[in-house]
Amino acid sequence: MSLESLNEILNKINTIKITHKHKRRIRVDVKADSLTTLLELIKGQASFLHLSAITCVDWIEDNQFELVYHVWSYEENCLISAHTRIDRDDAKFVTVYDLYKPADFFERDIYEMYGVFFIGSPRMEKFILTEWFGMPPMRKDFDSEAYVQETFNWTEYNPDWLQELSDQGGGIAIKPEDIRLSGTLHNKATHREREKAKKEHVVGKGWKS
Amino acid sequence: MMKKELKIKSNKTNQQKQKRTNPLANVFDDFIDFCQSKSLFMLHYCTGCGAIELPPAMTSRFDMERLGIQPMVTPRQADILLVTGYVSVKTLKRVILTYEQMQAPKYVIGICSCTVNGGMYWQSYATAKKLNEYMPVDVYIAGCMPRPEAVLEGLNRLKNNIKNDRKEQKGSAWKDYYKNYDYYLGNQQNLFGKEWQTPVDVIAEAKLYGLEGEGTYGENTKKLKMVQHPLLPQEMKL
Ligand code: SF4
Repeated sequence: MSLESLNEILNKINTIKITHKHKRRIRVDVKADSLTTLLELIKGQASFLHLSAITCVDWIEDNQFELVYHVWSYEENCLISAHTRIDRDDAKFVTVYDLYKPADFFERDIYEMYGVFFIGSPRMEKFILTEWFGMPPMRKDFDSEAYVQETFNWTEYNPDWLQELSDQGGGIAIKPEDIRLSGTLHNKATHREREKAKKEHVVGKGWKS
Repeated sequence: MMKKELKIKSNKTNQQKQKRTNPLANVFDDFIDFCQSKSLFMLHYCTGCGAIELPPAMTSRFDMERLGIQPMVTPRQADILLVTGYVSVKTLKRVILTYEQMQAPKYVIGICSCTVNGGMYWQSYATAKKLNEYMPVDVYIAGCMPRPEAVLEGLNRLKNNIKNDRKEQKGSAWKDYYKNYDYYLGNQQNLFGKEWQTPVDVIAEAKLYGLEGEGTYGENTKKLKMVQHPLLPQEMKL
C-alpha cells in the first residue's frame, strides 16, 4: 500500500492530525471519540493487525491522561502511534478488546497503574500489584518518597571502622542518609526542612477508588 | 498504612532449661554443632539482581562446596535461605511462606544492600526495605552486589555462628522468630493487611520446640485468631 492511500484512509477521520516522523513511524493525534473508529479503519483496510502496546501518560498540569495505542503492520512494516487525551478527573475510556485481544492485559495494567477505567474490558481487576491498596502508583500526584517515609523504617549503620576510615580522610564521600531523599545532594538544613515537609504531606489524598 | 515501630519484647522463653547431668553431654553438643556447620543445604531465593553473583560462588571458580554448602531444591530440606537482593512486597509474601516451610534449625542470609534498607530502591513503593523486620536474618552481606568472595565470607561467618551457638548463648536467629512471633507478625500485617495468615501454625511450632515466650503472643497474634479459617487448596487459574 502506498503512503498516499494510507493517508487517504487516515484522513477519513475529520479531527485527525498526522505527523510522519519517519517512513516507518506515523504519529496521529485524534479526539477520544474517534479513536476506536481509527483503529477499526486501519485494522480493516490497512493491515495493522498487531497492537504492540497501550501506554498512558499523566499530564497533571493539563488535568488529562494521554493514551497511546501502538499498532504495527507486518505488511507495511510500519508503526502507527495513535495519541488521544481523556479527562483526568473522569478517567474512563472505552475498551478496544473487541478489536485487539491483547488489549485486555494493557488495559488492566493501565487501570492498575493509573486508575483509568476501561468500559467493557473483560477483567478490570488487580493484575500485578496484588498487595497494593493505595492510589494507583504511577499517577503524578502519588508521592512515592513520602509513602516510603511513612511506611518503612531506615536502617542506621555507622560502624566504628567506618568512622576510623573517615577520620583518616577516607570512607564514604556521600553518606546514604544524605542522598536517600530525592536522590539528590542536600546540605543538612534543606534535608531537615524536606523531612518536615514530608511529614505534613498526606499520601494518597484525593484519590477515590 | 501508617509506620509503626514495633519493639521486640524479650528473649526469654517460658521453659526452664533442664540441667544436664551427663558429663559427656557437652562433648556431644559440640560434636553435633560441628557436624551441623559442615553440612548445609542452601535454598537460594533469587529475588533480585544480586543472584548473579551466585553462579560463580557455587561453581568451580569459587566453589561453595568446599565449605560443605550445596544448593537444595526445596525449602523443606534446606537449612539456609539465601535472599539475594530486593524483595518486593509481593515477593516478600512468598519469601515468608518459604521460610516458614523450612524445618528448624534454619538460617537466613540477606545478600545485597537492598535487603538491609532497600538500597537503591529506597524510594520505591513496591519493595519492602528491612528484611529483618519480617523474618530473622542471621547474616547480612552488604554490597551492590557483593563479590563472590564476600558471599563466601558471609557463609563462613554463618558457619562459625552455628558452631559457637551454644557456647555463646546468643541463640540463633531462627529461635527469635518463635520467641518474638508477635513482632514479626505485626510487621507483616502492616504490609499485607490484617487478614494476613500463613498456612503454618507458628505458635504450635513454638510450643513444640519449647520456644514460646512473652513475645510469642500479643496484640497481633490475637488478630490471627480472628481471621483464621480452615485452609483450603488454592484454586488454579490461568
Ligand atoms: S543491592 Fe544492588 S545488586 Fe543487590 S539487589 Fe539491590 S540493586 Fe541489585
